[in-house]
Amino acid sequence: MKRLESRHWVFIGLFLVVLLSMLLQVDLGVEVSSDTTRLFDYIENLPPGSTIMISFDHEASSLPEIRPLALAVLRHAFARNQRLVGVALLAEGTGIGYRLMEQVGKEYGKVYGEDYVFLGFKPQYIAAMLSMGESIRQTFPEDYLGRSYDSLPMLQGVRNYDQIAGVISIADGSLTTHWIEYAGNQYGVRVSAAVAAAMVTTYDPYLASGQLHAMIGGLRGAAEYEQLIHQGGSGLRGMLAQTTAHMYVILMILIGNVVYFRGRRKRGEG
Amino acid sequence: MRRRIPQLVCGLFGLVTFLCYFSSHPIARKIYLTVTLDYWQIIFAFTLIVGALSFVRVNLRAVERGEDRPYKIVSLIGVVLMPILALIWGIRGGSPFMWVFENIQVPMQATVFSLLAFFVASASYRGFRARSLQAAILLGAALLILISRSSIGDLIWDRIPEAAEWVRSNPAMSARRAILIGIGLGSLTTSVRVLVGIERTWLGGEK
Repeated sequence: MKRLESRHWVFIGLFLVVLLSMLLQVDLGVEVSSDTTRLFDYIENLPPGSTIMISFDHEASSLPEIRPLALAVLRHAFARNQRLVGVALLAEGTGIGYRLMEQVGKEYGKVYGEDYVFLGFKPQYIAAMLSMGESIRQTFPEDYLGRSYDSLPMLQGVRNYDQIAGVISIADGSLTTHWIEYAGNQYGVRVSAAVAAAMVTTYDPYLASGQLHAMIGGLRGAAEYEQLIHQGGSGLRGMLAQTTAHMYVILMILIGNVVYFRGRRKRGEG
Repeated sequence: MRRRIPQLVCGLFGLVTFLCYFSSHPIARKIYLTVTLDYWQIIFAFTLIVGALSFVRVNLRAVERGEDRPYKIVSLIGVVLMPILALIWGIRGGSPFMWVFENIQVPMQATVFSLLAFFVASASYRGFRARSLQAAILLGAALLILISRSSIGDLIWDRIPEAAEWVRSNPAMSARRAILIGIGLGSLTTSVRVLVGIERTWLGGEK
């Protein structure tokens, strides 16, 4: 049998740490950041019945991180009786987005077509964003379920971004940038985002300049949001696994450096 | 002539779209939207056909040569099967297309993405060393961010989130802004070079 190398032990260690954390199901609680509070306040302070566009701009690979973010935002919006228009500008976000809206819609007893709709996917995201600025009806003549735009009561009177209170882009990549550049800058629609943790620093400059109104990021952002809406979910549940995994990585870095410096000293380099 | 005509078309459309973007005149708006909404979608549809055909051709050749044959066959089955499922039963929730997407594609992609955590753990052990002052600063910042993104950052020291926020808002954001400005200037330069015909590599063939 092949002898296990150091990296294999590192893999096994991480697997056990995450597995144990998931089995323990301890709610650690998190300190809520100002960024998260800003998005929460934004949705909280919109007049009930406002129309918010939720854009599912992500791929399936980031679902474990994106799902808690999306669920937290959808739950808050539905709880505040906002009307939601779902779209997907990446093909993989289509099925996921519809399922999530349907799931949370049922939780809050919302009716499809009256309280929320899902318009589906449109290829070429920049063209789709610009097109919706002129006419959402022309961009999506039918919704995801094949019903005509005009037959959906919620969309009566919704012509373009002028009737949309804001766009929330749920993204794992750079698509939010295009929302800011095209929908935000050209049509003046307010853009917010719920993004994967790896993208947070990408959007920090836009947040600081005010081009991005609010942003929550990663599993921690989801956990913070769940805490604000007083509804635990996979964000808070996953925080123990994320915390222990981070601690494990820090431990590996420290062990690696101890080994490195001891080796240097032995070789007489340090 | 074969190169001159595409160059002229590219230059003309680029210039017209660029000028119309900054104009609020109704005619300019109409031209801009026609180009971005209609022409763009049509071109995209053609590129999709080219991409799909190229994918099938490359993978068929690999199957013939016996290179990674099982993987290439699975890829080909996927590229043929999904459009068939979509054409027969549609792509709505509950359709066979969505079943394959939700039960095969989503778990597979999430699994591959999750494997990154194991490689990060391994790389942190083997490669993240304080070999120099710069490396030590980078290491310190990374540790700070890692702790701040977990639940125990504020328990260790209540100013850790504040320190991490400072790193995010100052050095990290400065670097990010510099990169963004660099990308912007680079894109602008390349676009101008393409429009005036200095940059011709996109046409392929001779230099």
